[in-house]
Amino acid sequence: MSAALVFGYTLAVAWLVPVLLSRLTRHGVSARLGLGAWLTAMASVLASAAAAVALLAGAAIAGLPRLAEAVCRSVAGRACTPVVYRSAVFEVPLGVAAIAAMLTAAVLAWRYGRAMQRAGRRTRAHAEAARITGRRLPVDGSAGRTVTGEWGGGATVVLDAPQPAAYCVPGRPAAIVLTSGALAVLDRDQLGAVLAHERAHLAGRHHLLISLSRGLAASFPGVPVFTRGPAEVARLAELCADDAAARRTGRPALVAALLAMGTGAAVPAPALAVTSGAVSARVHRLIDPPRRGRHARYGLALAAVMLLLTSVSGLVIAFAGPLAAGLG
Amino acid sequence: MRGFGDLESVIMHMVWDHACPVTVRELFDELRHERPIAYTTVMSTMDNLHRKGWLAREKDGKAYRYTATASREEYSARLMREALDGGGDTEAVLSHFVAQMGGAESEVLRTVVSRLTRGRPR
Repeated sequence: MSAALVFGYTLAVAWLVPVLLSRLTRHGVSARLGLGAWLTAMASVLASAAAAVALLAGAAIAGLPRLAEAVCRSVAGRACTPVVYRSAVFEVPLGVAAIAAMLTAAVLAWRYGRAMQRAGRRTRAHAEAARITGRRLPVDGSAGRTVTGEWGGGATVVLDAPQPAAYCVPGRPAAIVLTSGALAVLDRDQLGAVLAHERAHLAGRHHLLISLSRGLAASFPGVPVFTRGPAEVARLAELCADDAAARRTGRPALVAALLAMGTGAAVPAPALAVTSGAVSARVHRLIDPPRRGRHARYGLALAAVMLLLTSVSGLVIAFAGPLAAGLG
Repeated sequence: MRGFGDLESVIMHMVWDHACPVTVRELFDELRHERPIAYTTVMSTMDNLHRKGWLAREKDGKAYRYTATASREEYSARLMREALDGGGDTEAVLSHFVAQMGGAESEVLRTVVSRLTRGRPR
């Protein structure tokens, strides 16, 4: 009974909460809370699913001895002692099931770890190659606002390439890579906005959140909260970085930078020519920021969703743990 | 300047700027004017770069003469390729400032911006 309840709750969160969150985060009002809410939803589905499975297993195990004894008596008659039926019908299959489950989990974890390791190796190689090939962005402190290529975590390097591009490579040390094409289309304030945006990605460990949610999406196909997670997390992380950059350099500089970088691409890129509209959405949001009241309403709603998810999932785990263990 | 990685970059750029193969001694003599540095540091850094595949070398008398295995432009192009349409593994870990836009979206953007910035003074 309780297992069914928890299962129902898990399904509801996994299927319904994405709809709600999509609605609440569509316009990117309070992107930070939105990102938090999506992550909370994923974590609470994982946790309550684990609780449901534990409860189910507990219930199954609780009913098994009687069933096993009945089967044993009908087969072996009087020779059936508790020791015999327990080991033959009860403990052996249980052990096999447990070992199979652990092996599956281990294989999944190993595969995921391997993929992460491979990605990490390629990232580190990319960062190193960029650091060696690129030139250091000189520190420019003239005329008021300082634009600096150096920050706590690593260096900013400039690659000779005509197409305007800017991206960050996580790692120790991390690197922010700009192309000479990007420097050509950005003025000082806009460059500051781009750098602030990339630093916000690195500081917020957005790459980790994105690759984690991708791993979940690959492990649980068909579950909306996980399949929609990566795109939403990536989109909201982008908006969070925009907000950080806007706070630092002001909205106009960031909008101008987005435009310059987005439209200044003189090099035709046929493979990427499909418009997603993501950049327009970002620009719209910056030019026409939500009113204070709307901001507060969305923030409150997102905070309420997060609070509800964490408290209910917390309760579920608090009750399921001892229940499953006690019955098992 | 600081850091070991930084010296690797400086040395590679010096090698790229040289038209012909260089010896450790030649680079050391150039570097010595810019910063206090030991000959052995330059040598071990170039040895590292050779080990990592950035530099090729051949014996010339008692010393090695080093050349870059690929030009600066080739490395830049390779990095940009990996960054822009690498997909797969690297896609997960590089965060771009903007996705590249097609003509239609950039046109829409320009219109929107000019309208809104004219309409509402800040």
